Amino acid sequence: MAYEQVKVETPLLLRILPVASILLFFGMWQGLVDFKIVPNTMLASPTQVMELFWEKLFVTDPDGALLSTHAWISIQEAFAGFFLSLLVGIPLGLLMGWFTVAEGLARPIFELIRPIPPVAWIPLTIFWFGIGIPGKVFIIWLSGIVPCVINSYVGVRMTNPTLIQMARTYGATDWGIFTKICIPSALPMVFGAMTISQAYCWTTLVGAEYLAADQGLGYLITMGRRLAMPSMVVLGMICVGLTGVAIGIIIEKVEKRLLAGIRR
Amino acid sequence: MADATATIANEVQCAVRERRPFSIAATLKNKWFLYAVSITAFFGIWKYVDYTQVLGNGIAPPEAVVVQIFRLTGDTIAGKSLWGHIWASTYRVLIGFAIASAIAVPLGIIMALNRYVNAIVKPVFDLLKPMPPFAWISCAILWFGIDEPSKIFIIVVGTFVPCLLNSYMGIRLIEPQLYDVIRMLGGTRRDEILQVGFPAAFPAIFAGLQISVSIAWTCVLSAELVSARSGLGFIIIQGMQLSKPALVLAGMVVLAFVAWATTLLITGLEKILCPWKREAVVA
Repeated sequence: MAYEQVKVETPLLLRILPVASILLFFGMWQGLVDFKIVPNTMLASPTQVMELFWEKLFVTDPDGALLSTHAWISIQEAFAGFFLSLLVGIPLGLLMGWFTVAEGLARPIFELIRPIPPVAWIPLTIFWFGIGIPGKVFIIWLSGIVPCVINSYVGVRMTNPTLIQMARTYGATDWGIFTKICIPSALPMVFGAMTISQAYCWTTLVGAEYLAADQGLGYLITMGRRLAMPSMVVLGMICVGLTGVAIGIIIEKVEKRLLAGIRR
Repeated sequence: MADATATIANEVQCAVRERRPFSIAATLKNKWFLYAVSITAFFGIWKYVDYTQVLGNGIAPPEAVVVQIFRLTGDTIAGKSLWGHIWASTYRVLIGFAIASAIAVPLGIIMALNRYVNAIVKPVFDLLKPMPPFAWISCAILWFGIDEPSKIFIIVVGTFVPCLLNSYMGIRLIEPQLYDVIRMLGGTRRDEILQVGFPAAFPAIFAGLQISVSIAWTCVLSAELVSARSGLGFIIIQGMQLSKPALVLAGMVVLAFVAWATTLLITGLEKILCPWKREAVVA
């Protein structure tokens, strides 16, 4: 090796502090509840949440479904919305980036709809689809499609002009330049969109399930509030958080695999 | 997004202007013509969907929505006119946003500058970060009831994350060469932070605030949809309960407009406060 590797020793304190901070966090949480500083009707202790977690794996009461059912329903909805938004958003964004006609036709509608928060569509989707899965998929789709379109659009726009000029010189057709040069060079941005879009989808899912659901993790949280069971609320929140992180990691892995050959 | 005629995929087009003879093909490809077609088609389809009753009574024609918005400015819903509801929502957004940015931005900066603070705060923050803000609504209602504080709490929670992350990354991602320069010129740690760290990180911090504002609008809306007696979300939910799609759509349109205006305001503010910013932040 050309360089001498410098080993920087992290101070012991810096390695202990994160662990201590997490322990303190849970300790305080447990203490707040156990010593009745915060009433049990407002907050559940970590141990209570763990108990409920174990219980909910086997018992459907009092909200009508197992924890695994709730999670599975939520994941299905999120992924359906996510894939639909990729399916529509990415080609749309790519086309908008290269073809003036596509941009001229799609851009105004996109800009009109974009500033409306996806959650605001919930009442309309209830009118249109009822409270079943299609309505939620529609809302998730709406929130996921925005980053897809923007990123693919920008990706195409940021294509190195030299490459395009070279292709022109060699007599490539418009469509040829689009498929052979613009799309490959936009790919990193497009995959970046996948990560963002997934996070948006998962966030919106919880919002959608708040208002219109009979199963799912968001529904679990709402039921926890209605039944005044803080442990169920916290359990739902933790499940949402953990599942979201897990999906994010999977998407990142997939992205790395697919982009392995692309120089960034 | 840049001006469409000037560049295509960053490729600079020839800037010579020539008056071309009128041709139908060129007109059909004109940007403004296409925009007009697109908008007309959008409203046309909307009207047609309403006319054919494909969605039953679940949609109102565009003109009914416009009429509804005008009626709202005069009428009152739950004791407030449209302006009152707009102000109720804006007020919540402003308070929540102010609290979140007042705590999160300095905290992010301190975390980036001091690794001990970072070691303490980062793990807890990483633990709470993946919870979507909507998931906190139930907690907020259990803790604060259904009054103002619970809505402001949701906004604070929702906007906290991007504020903190952006100020943290903004300081962290400063090019080390900039620090090298000021060290070579004999600057102290204080100079490093004030002369280099802050100006260099400012665009990123501001981008965080920008994202926060749009998240704040989503948060206030969802909080109002769940429980409220005023605000734009309340108008939308009223429309739903009364089965009046025109009212729902009117609420959505007004909300989109207000949210868009706030974003515009923040972007304008950025141009004044931070003229040294170079590249545009994408989405």
